[in-house]
Amino acid sequence: MQEIPEFWRTEVFHPLSVHFPIALLVVAFLFKVVALRFSREVWELGGTILLIAGVITLWIAIFTGDIADGVVSRKICDPTILKDHENLAWTTAWIFSGGLLLDLLRQLKYPVFRNIFTRLLMILLLAIGTGTLGYTGHLGATLVYQQAAGVYVPSGNCAEFE
Amino acid sequence: MKTTLLKTVVFSTIFLFFACGESTDVVESGTYQGTIEEVEADKTEIYVETDDDKTLELYFTETTELTRNGSVVEFSTLEEGMRVEVDVEKEGKRLNPLAVRVLE
Repeated sequence: MQEIPEFWRTEVFHPLSVHFPIALLVVAFLFKVVALRFSREVWELGGTILLIAGVITLWIAIFTGDIADGVVSRKICDPTILKDHENLAWTTAWIFSGGLLLDLLRQLKYPVFRNIFTRLLMILLLAIGTGTLGYTGHLGATLVYQQAAGVYVPSGNCAEFE
Repeated sequence: MKTTLLKTVVFSTIFLFFACGESTDVVESGTYQGTIEEVEADKTEIYVETDDDKTLELYFTETTELTRNGSVVEFSTLEEGMRVEVDVEKEGKRLNPLAVRVLE
């Protein structure tokens, strides 16, 4: 009879960590868009704080994903999807990191970056990053729901749960 | 100006996509010769560029046989640039390395 594996497996830390950057970065982008129309500091500064937290957790998710990759790639039936997921995640991380860098340069009041061009470029980066983030998440979801990546599949008669 | 801005961002994104990762190929079961492009020791994984320009991503398993001059050797023997011959088995789109022989 097969045994139920321990929950805290190497590959489990990735799904536990990915939802933070997804939530934080999407809301950060929305804050920055709202800040274009409304000048209250809460949108601008709030967006920056969310962006910082989002980028930090995004790199953590990249790290946990890299660890999970070593386990999951040996089991799933189409690792090319995992490769696309990984490549797009790196792209997303660099896009948001670039957006954060531009935002911080603006916030730190470097005169050369205090212009509408930098602001629009930053928001465009966040918009593209939000798109790639969504598709990265979609690929991750297909890995889980179509290939059971990182998922324990119980036996047909569930005997190990008795 | 907006068009230039948009083009800059789009092209930068495409560049980043290709710069950040490499694509890998799926081949039929068989024996292939090539050069090790990258070794990821912590994952016991290698990338092999075959002589017909395919990139194979191979995760060693417990049953993968790694040899050099007929003798079994450790994974740590592998280095980038080494010539190897690999026997792979395709399952779905996953390539299982059955045997890896160092050719030098």
